[in-house]
Amino acid sequence: MDLEQLRKTAAEVVARDDVKYLIGWKKGSYGYRVAPVFVEDAAGVAELIFSPLCTANLATYLTLVEKTPLPRGQEADKRKVAVMVKGCDSRAVVQLLVEKGIHREDVIVIGCPCPGVVDQSLLAEKYGDTKELVEVKWNGDSFLLVRGGEEIKIPRDEVLAEKCRLCRFPNPVISDHLISDEVEKRDLAEDSGVSELEAKDVDGRWEYWEEQFNKCIRCYSCRNVCPLCYCQDCILDRLNPTWINRAVNFSENTAFNISRAFHLAGRCIECGECERVCPANIPLGKINRKMAREVREKYGFEPGLDPDAEPFQASFKPDDPEDFIL
Amino acid sequence: MSAMLLNKEKWPEFVGKLTGKNLWAPKLEGEAMRFAPVAAGDEISLDYGNTRVPPKGAAFPQTETMYLFQLGNIEMEEPKLEEELILLGVRPCDARAMTIIEKLFRWDFDDPYYLKRRELVTLVGLACNEPGLNCFCSSVGGAPDSTEGLDLLMYDLGDSYLLEAVTAKGEALLAETKELLTDSDAGAVKAKEQLVADAGSKIKRTVDHSGIPEGLPGLWEDPLWKRVSASCIGCGTCTYLCPTCHCFDIQDEVEGFEARRCRTWDSCMFEEYTMHTSGHNPRPTRRERTRNRINHKYNYYVDKFDVIACVGCGRCINLCPVNIDIVEILRQVKEAL
Repeated sequence: MDLEQLRKTAAEVVARDDVKYLIGWKKGSYGYRVAPVFVEDAAGVAELIFSPLCTANLATYLTLVEKTPLPRGQEADKRKVAVMVKGCDSRAVVQLLVEKGIHREDVIVIGCPCPGVVDQSLLAEKYGDTKELVEVKWNGDSFLLVRGGEEIKIPRDEVLAEKCRLCRFPNPVISDHLISDEVEKRDLAEDSGVSELEAKDVDGRWEYWEEQFNKCIRCYSCRNVCPLCYCQDCILDRLNPTWINRAVNFSENTAFNISRAFHLAGRCIECGECERVCPANIPLGKINRKMAREVREKYGFEPGLDPDAEPFQASFKPDDPEDFIL
Repeated sequence: MSAMLLNKEKWPEFVGKLTGKNLWAPKLEGEAMRFAPVAAGDEISLDYGNTRVPPKGAAFPQTETMYLFQLGNIEMEEPKLEEELILLGVRPCDARAMTIIEKLFRWDFDDPYYLKRRELVTLVGLACNEPGLNCFCSSVGGAPDSTEGLDLLMYDLGDSYLLEAVTAKGEALLAETKELLTDSDAGAVKAKEQLVADAGSKIKRTVDHSGIPEGLPGLWEDPLWKRVSASCIGCGTCTYLCPTCHCFDIQDEVEGFEARRCRTWDSCMFEEYTMHTSGHNPRPTRRERTRNRINHKYNYYVDKFDVIACVGCGRCINLCPVNIDIVEILRQVKEAL
């Protein structure tokens, strides 16, 4: 990864009069952590990095902007926002364009072809966590952990994030600036997590999810981190009517998790952020990948690839064999 | 107060004595450690840093039914409180946190729900030999062997546990299990002191909070708040996993004609938290919410109850999805003073 190229491109982008800021990754506060950063001027670009630790999907921040009422006479800041995206993240940008959650002229996409990121908890478990800031680099078919002057070569499969084993789009599907050559697609692993669940009977699946949803503490980190959970008026926040009670129990937790999964059917771009951030370790990826698999196999539709596509849940064909909708 | 030794070979029997009561202890569920009901010693994992969710729920459940009623009927029914509960293997920071939130629940009004439950709970602590990466208890008034809030504190000496009673409840536990225990000796005390000293020196993160409680009001409009909150996604991870966060909401929940009034944890990081009926929100963005979280812990609470409402357990740092790090925020606050 050519950091110089990245920083040079970023500096040119943020220097533009019509750009508000660039959302990228920087080194975090300790260990393997990486944090999102908002770069407003050329001086800030020195902080930018792109490494196997850059797991977070920054496309979330495109719709997470809070708009407070403007003082009289003040104009809204309509400048563009630039965002760094990996292959999976770029699909969120496309899906947002499809849904008109954002407009093409408002974003500048900095595409980062991605050979796969690491699962930080796996890395910490196998190689120990540390307070000191450490670096992880791509190194052919392995990762290179640089810690205290020592370089440790880690086989790719040992610490690769699950979403990357299943990744079909390592290269950005949309970009205005590409910061390196595209990476080669790899052979796909079988999504054994989903297949194993599919093999269970209804009772077995119910038992599985009952155990999982019972763990939910309703912190809503999955909803908030999701680039495609951006409803201005979320049913979870509604009190009148109260669609989902504030009580935390299996029934309400299930209502919440299932509602979210359905709202994401045909929209989830499988970036895996929900599962990564869940403090209760609920395997949310499995539910969303199952929905994606259904939509792909039954309708031949894949979200987040074509900005001109019709949104899956809002499209209807007149020759649809089911007539209930008419 | 007395101190006794428990040989680890007797651990299953010791736990067996306690399982006659309602016993909760750290248990590995999936990848995360949680306090959960246990029936036998081998279900308990004491080899852990901190449980994912703090044990505050023992006295302050995430969802608590205050009373039940039927629509169209003015009679109310109070749910029966559960039996006594023993929490085994509580970290000193989490026990200390219970004493901190108790100040709030005893403040202008004695909160019957919290206090009744708290009285039913016996806290058996486990001193830390191996502090976690983001632990900073010793910076905020705690210690790996703090006894605040505990009834009994255990020290892991390798082959045995040293059990020190802190309260009468702890003494009673020692008395109940005395046939499994042997007297403590000078060697055990020395070993304990060494472990505690070692644990203290293994704490790598520190916070210098001098001047922060008094200085925070002056930083109300400081640009630092925008900087540290820019990447916040507004979820409740930091507050729900915090052992001292105690905000709650009260709602009536109705199913058919059956209804209940319940209180649930709430989080100041949620937009809904300060939303007025009018639609006005005095904390409209994550900047104000983050500023409030820090002010509440390091300013308002100190002002009102003379104690920092943060015990340095490190959970909010470990689990923030976007690496918002309270130690780093406090460093920036200190710098801005």
